[in-house]
Amino acid sequence: MELGIIAAGLAVLTGIGAGIGIGIATGKASEAIARQPEASGKINSTLLIGCALAEGTAIFGFVTALIIIFMG
Amino acid sequence: MGGLKEVLLEAMANETAFTIPIFGGIGISQSVVVSWLIMAVLMAVTLLLTHKLKVRDPGKVQIALECAVNFLNNFAHNNIGKHWRPFAPYLGTVALYIGFSNIIAIFGLTPPTKDVSVTAALAAMSLCVIYGAQFRYRGLVGGMKEFASPVWILAPINLMEVAVRPLALCMRLFGNILGAFIIMELIKYLMPVGVPAVASIYFDLFDGLIQMAVFVFLTAIFTGEGIKEEE
Repeated sequence: MELGIIAAGLAVLTGIGAGIGIGIATGKASEAIARQPEASGKINSTLLIGCALAEGTAIFGFVTALIIIFMG
Repeated sequence: MGGLKEVLLEAMANETAFTIPIFGGIGISQSVVVSWLIMAVLMAVTLLLTHKLKVRDPGKVQIALECAVNFLNNFAHNNIGKHWRPFAPYLGTVALYIGFSNIIAIFGLTPPTKDVSVTAALAAMSLCVIYGAQFRYRGLVGGMKEFASPVWILAPINLMEVAVRPLALCMRLFGNILGAFIIMELIKYLMPVGVPAVASIYFDLFDGLIQMAVFVFLTAIFTGEGIKEEE
């Protein structure tokens, strides 16, 4: 069980990647909006999709951790 | 620590609400019952709001409804392209259902989207819409060719996406809602007064609505990708 807990903790580390990725994407998006405020609608929707896809990795890690804890 | 684990296990489990006593007992889970409740409320509200529509001199409610439908149509048109019309009602329905199921934890019910079977069903429906549309509007051969676009060497990746897209849609919705639900349960367990109300605004309301938008947006974009004409 102890090993399982460590494995679950490692699986949740995928959140690092998602956090960095979403941070970079949001930073670039605000730069883009500052440069071209009239394109903010398109930038927002692209950002939303990008964030959703980047966040997917973190969610997969989370689901894997849950599976390890409760079923492994 | 033992109490914490019990709370977690309880949050993970999908309870059976009642059992239909035929064929040796068909278990009806909580998520299905809450889904029925959402469907009933949505149906009642729909009938209530649309039973007195007028061409001349529309009321406030009708104008708000028309704005919402217009917004939905524009959204479908922007993301799907020329053949947007049959998809707009589907996208709107899915958006309403997912939105209500995500935020229903505010009323103290378990969100149905916490159950992986519900999100898997929604993702399977998206799969049918995405690839059904591709074959419907491009024909059998054209639909096959679409898998080999933009260059034939990408065909294995495009074929892999058939499985990856619904899996990602399903797991994203399920993971987000389950995660938010578990965190809310933990907060309720650790600090039953005051804090849950504030945290609920983010975890139930904001996160739920964002996930609803993401699910519908991704379905629309994937559908549009398959059938959009080059301009």
